[in-house]
Amino acid sequence: MSSLNASLATALSGLISEQGAMATTTNNVANANTPGYSRQVPVLVSSDPTVVDPLTFGSGVTLQSIESIRDPILESQIQQETQTNGQLNSLVSALQQTQVNFTSSTGDIGTAITNFFDSVNQLSTNPSDLSLRQDVLTAAGNLATAFNTTSNNLTAQTANIDQNVVQSVGQINTLTQQIAQLNGQISNLQNVGESAGSFIDQRTQAIDQLSNLVDVSVIPSDNTLTLTTGNGTPLVIGQTAFQLQTQPILSGLHDVYAQGTDITSSIVSGELGGQLQARDQQIPAIQTQLNTLAAGLANAVNTVQAGGFDLNGVQGTNLFNPPPVSGVGAAASLSVAITDPSLIAASSDGTPGSNGNAEALYALNSGAVVSGESPTDYYSGIVFNVGNATSNVTAEQTASNLVLQQLNDQNSAVSGVSLDEEAANLVQYQQAYSASAQVITAINDMMYAVVNMATLTG
Amino acid sequence: MRINPDPYPDILSSVEQTQQQIYTDEQQIASGQSVNVPSDNPAAAAVLVQNADQTSQADQFQRSIGSVQGEIQSADSTLNSVVESLQQAISLGVEGANGTVNAEDRQAIITQLQGIQSQLLNLANLTYQGNYVFAGTATQTVPYVLNPSSSSGVTYQGNSGTNSVTLGNHFSLQTNLPGSQLFSGSPSNVFQSIQDLINGLEGGDATIISSAVSEVSNALNYVDGQRVFYGNALNQLTSQQTYLSSETTELAQQANTAGGADLTAVITNLTASQTSLQAALEAVGQTGQIDLFSFLR
Repeated sequence: MSSLNASLATALSGLISEQGAMATTTNNVANANTPGYSRQVPVLVSSDPTVVDPLTFGSGVTLQSIESIRDPILESQIQQETQTNGQLNSLVSALQQTQVNFTSSTGDIGTAITNFFDSVNQLSTNPSDLSLRQDVLTAAGNLATAFNTTSNNLTAQTANIDQNVVQSVGQINTLTQQIAQLNGQISNLQNVGESAGSFIDQRTQAIDQLSNLVDVSVIPSDNTLTLTTGNGTPLVIGQTAFQLQTQPILSGLHDVYAQGTDITSSIVSGELGGQLQARDQQIPAIQTQLNTLAAGLANAVNTVQAGGFDLNGVQGTNLFNPPPVSGVGAAASLSVAITDPSLIAASSDGTPGSNGNAEALYALNSGAVVSGESPTDYYSGIVFNVGNATSNVTAEQTASNLVLQQLNDQNSAVSGVSLDEEAANLVQYQQAYSASAQVITAINDMMYAVVNMATLTG
Repeated sequence: MRINPDPYPDILSSVEQTQQQIYTDEQQIASGQSVNVPSDNPAAAAVLVQNADQTSQADQFQRSIGSVQGEIQSADSTLNSVVESLQQAISLGVEGANGTVNAEDRQAIITQLQGIQSQLLNLANLTYQGNYVFAGTATQTVPYVLNPSSSSGVTYQGNSGTNSVTLGNHFSLQTNLPGSQLFSGSPSNVFQSIQDLINGLEGGDATIISSAVSEVSNALNYVDGQRVFYGNALNQLTSQQTYLSSETTELAQQANTAGGADLTAVITNLTASQTSLQAALEAVGQTGQIDLFSFLR
């Protein structure tokens, strides 16, 4: 049969377990605003019963473990979306900066092209006028400057993004180091059967931060996990972190290496992916278009110059220094070749009053001189491309923000601390604790009765 | 079902979005433009680049028209003076052909005609802003110089070149006629006719004088006929000016359609955004003020 002492032990197990449960609630309340914290619940199980034949008595309650409530699938979805989100954030911020160069202003390329041809049209009304010739030279200089400034701005932006690439790789290395350490702490605890909830929370948060930087695949294994980049390059295996390196390449920009292998082109998402995409694809594509425009325009103007005569009746020479044959760097290096306004070849017959060649020069304004388009049409195409790329990634970013927000909502619904819930639990645990205490008081009374009974008998 | 116990991130993100919208609306109201950066509307931004180019071109065409107009008007009025001088020469010729005119009077007429001759030379050597108007494209060369060995008394040093200036997207106008066509070419030569008249009067043969008078008369008719070119040019310039100003208006409308802000709509949006921002902020203020802990004593 059962004993009073056994009942006392049972009541005590209630006191201890409720205290433990209360501690869990207290911890939840304390961490209600801790980022990445998953609410914890006490796992109470009834202790193994004692069998006193033919009866089986319960022997109280055990606080078996304290479990963190989390949904691994949701967490994985959040990590995926965070990668996309990080990539879009870098792209949007890069392109928004890029498109400022293509916003209409007094110094933009479009305005400079228009002003150049306007000055040629004015010269055509009085081709021997030196001040009108000077106006054309000035407008040509402004046109060259507009190309130089825009191209140099894009180059400077590329260099800034390259700095960000190096910084991102540094952050990735810090995070993978942290995750490797956390892996160690978690497996140490789990190997001795202890709960590693708060370390797992920290690790999940570190993986989220890493996902924001680079594409990460998470491969869970017993008590630990492995992280690789999207193409399988290991970042963390158990307690070992594999550092990524950056090394300057020919262009002066930095490529990303993993154990000696250049993995730059395989990094497609996360902020690093977005930075690389902006640095290596988006901005160079715009530079190429600027070069095509600058080279097309300069070559066409020079060709017309050569077909006419200057104010002295001499065959025209280059107005612009010839752009590189490859076109590379044409926008950045565009410059006016002449300083003497009389060298503009406005004449088609060698007399100073002829405007035939100035008219030919003006005709370039609407001629198919840059990839089959007029200079202004080609430039407006660049403006469209830049605007469209920016607008597309911005729309994708808005959608991704929404998806991420919803996933975070869902995750928070699973793992977030609800103060109402904790308050109710607190009341419940408090009452159970009081009840167990009452039981002990009752047992105490019974013990007292038994002890007094013995005294009376003695 | 368990709901997300922490609504703050959602509310804050909605507040941020509303503030972004308010910023965009305010930007549109301040600039009057719905396209402030290319990404606001890429297609419209491209249209606006072309629109700005065409608008500037139209303004330039107006300025160029102003420039050529002056020269053409000056040429036209000079030709008018040439016609008047030739009329005077005809009257003098008719007077000189009269048999009653004595030698002394005839000499006076010859002197007057020589005056007209040099007047015509001046007119044909008209300059406008430093350029010889009737020298073809050789605008820095004096077109007519006296040359006693030439039968007409002058030599033409200009050329037969003409200039055309683009003054519209599909409009180009010839702006000059060379002196070789106006005064000293075939079918009619102003200088030759005056010289012939002077020679006739010096010879005193009435028949030759009459023939020279009709030669001058032909020259007058011819030059008068050439004035049509300048008159037409001036008319075309005027109608092109009208066309360009209506084109400018159309371009401004197109720019407004493509990139102008619909202020009524923007202000309505702004008001709505401000209301929703206020509501969101009030929600932040009220959320979480109450939970079960507040009721436990």
